Amino acid sequence: MSAARVWAVAMRVLRQMRHDVRLIVIMLVVPSLAMILFGFSFSGDIRGVELALIDEDRTDLTSEIVNSLKSDPTFQVTELLPAQDPEKLLLSGYQAVVRFPDKFTSLYYAHFAMGVATEAHGTLHLWLDESDPQIASAIRAGIADALMDVGEGGPVEVEEHPLYGVEVRFIDSFAPAIMGYVVTFVCSLLTLLSVVREKVDGTFERLWAAPLRRGEFILGYVIAFGLVALVQSALILGIGKLVFHLVINGSVFWALTCVILFAVGNVGLGTLLSALAQTESQAILMFPLVVLPSVLLSGMLWPLQAIPAVLRPLAYMVPLTYGNRLLRAVMVKGLPPWSEPVGLAGVLIFLVFTVVLATLTLRASVKQ
Amino acid sequence: MEAAIEVQGAVKSFGPIRAVAGVDLVVGQDEIYGLVGPSGAGKTTLIRMICGLLKRDAGKVRVLGHPIPEEKRKVEGRLGYMPQERALYRDLSVEENLLFFGQLNGMKRDKIRKRTAEILDFMRLTHLKRHLAENLSGGEKQRLSLACALLHRPELLVLDEPTVGLDPALRQEFWKHFHELRDHGHTLLLTTHYLEEAGRCTRVGFMRAGKIQAEGAPAELRARVARVQGGTPSMEEVFLSFASTEGK
Ligand SMILES: Nc1ncnc2c1ncn2[C@@H]1O[C@H](COP(=O)(O)OP(=O)(O)OP(=O)(O)O)[C@@H](O)[C@H]1O
Ligand SMILES: [Mg+2]
Repeated sequence: MSAARVWAVAMRVLRQMRHDVRLIVIMLVVPSLAMILFGFSFSGDIRGVELALIDEDRTDLTSEIVNSLKSDPTFQVTELLPAQDPEKLLLSGYQAVVRFPDKFTSLYYAHFAMGVATEAHGTLHLWLDESDPQIASAIRAGIADALMDVGEGGPVEVEEHPLYGVEVRFIDSFAPAIMGYVVTFVCSLLTLLSVVREKVDGTFERLWAAPLRRGEFILGYVIAFGLVALVQSALILGIGKLVFHLVINGSVFWALTCVILFAVGNVGLGTLLSALAQTESQAILMFPLVVLPSVLLSGMLWPLQAIPAVLRPLAYMVPLTYGNRLLRAVMVKGLPPWSEPVGLAGVLIFLVFTVVLATLTLRASVKQ
Repeated sequence: MEAAIEVQGAVKSFGPIRAVAGVDLVVGQDEIYGLVGPSGAGKTTLIRMICGLLKRDAGKVRVLGHPIPEEKRKVEGRLGYMPQERALYRDLSVEENLLFFGQLNGMKRDKIRKRTAEILDFMRLTHLKRHLAENLSGGEKQRLSLACALLHRPELLVLDEPTVGLDPALRQEFWKHFHELRDHGHTLLLTTHYLEEAGRCTRVGFMRAGKIQAEGAPAELRARVARVQGGTPSMEEVFLSFASTEGK
């Protein structure tokens, strides 16, 4: 193993990219566009959210707030009588339930009477289905607007009763998935194409007649595409932060470390697949093999629980399933990688398995 | 002096095709050995076996004193292989192709720079050094491909049709260079379809249907054919004679 030769391979791959301006542009535009498109299409206005209203206070103040909510096109408001179980309402199809308790108004005005130092405030209860963060955030924004209209942001506390889990914005939970997806796409497919092209053009013959080891070859690719994955992930995080105010609860360092581990596994996968393709067209036909399961089964667009039970074992064979799990744990939940052992183990097994197998099959893939 | 290449009873089949069907070949260190023969005779297959790129089905191959492919690693830095396909990185420039192959063969950067300038000059490619390989003409690609094999000054050069597609003037220069290399102690094994080139080798092997049918210095071979046909046959006539007589 010679560092100089590893470096030679890595630099060569990067140099090849440099000559392909179109490729560079695509490599920068794809992650940016993916982030922007998904970000905007999921943060577009939401209308007609089914909102159940239970007003137990029935004062001028509460009816003013109710009217403001009714005039907001975000909501389709239904006023209900008190003494209904909010969770049952949610399960019966409402997407949110707002309840004003009977002391709401008196506590609200107590605040003004007793001065700023007081803890007194009106409490508004909000039950909502958190599983769709885009809708949940639309509901929150609509309620905040209504309160603003009335009391200039007066002393109202919204007490949330999420039906599932903790508060997560869609973009926050989606950014790790985009990162994982882009890395899968770029690292495995570009490696596949690049290695197949070595075969087609005959440069493979030259490499193996020269003193180059299989491990050196793969490590060179790993370094080159590891760098590419790093740049792309930084771009996604940067755009996420600047344009969509992405919240990264965890450490960016761990996030990027995990992205690189995942990228290495994908370089291994690309090299491994190259053993099965003799021409570039064959390689391109393998793309859906990588892309479709990653998009549909990895938990990127919908949770694994939403995948039919028959397909679920398949989902656990998709590397991105583990990549997503790991990246979401690190970026959304703010955990260190080892606190998500399934995701971490999945990514590491993927990495070792593909890189070792790719190294073993590389020579066999030279035409005999 | 030890032979540069020793092949004994080498056999290689691709399914039903016996591409190399029992070849014995010895190339001495001070030789320019030319393999000629009709297309499909097995020349490239033999060469790929010698470079350790193909496993033989039977026989023995030794290169620079080492059994191949068992001790391939001891040989590879000392060997320069020019494949029959151009085998260049089309999305790298001329000098970047050379840089990469130089680095692979363990050359230092400033040495590569010096050698690159030298070899580009010789190959008349200096003005194209920043051009992408894919934009080169056929002959230019051919020259770059040869340059990649020569860059690290290997002891043993294995060149598969190095002069195909070159104009006569350039071929003339190439052959001058091959003889210079030989004078400096390099060994060359090459294939060619130009029979006047075969005449410039120290020895020629006529390959046909996976076997070396006849072998010897060009003058010797001419004499052998002259004994049968009379006159002073050209290499072309020698070739046709061996190709038609099943190689006596
Ligand atoms: N990888 C392969 N798979 C199957 N058959 C092959 C392979 N390589 C070579 N052959 C066959 O083996 C025979 C010898 O091929 P080879 O390339 O050695 O010929 P050659 O003498 O170099 O011909 P040319 O002068 O045209 O280059 C041919 O019939 C060819 O079709
Ligand atoms: Mg050939």
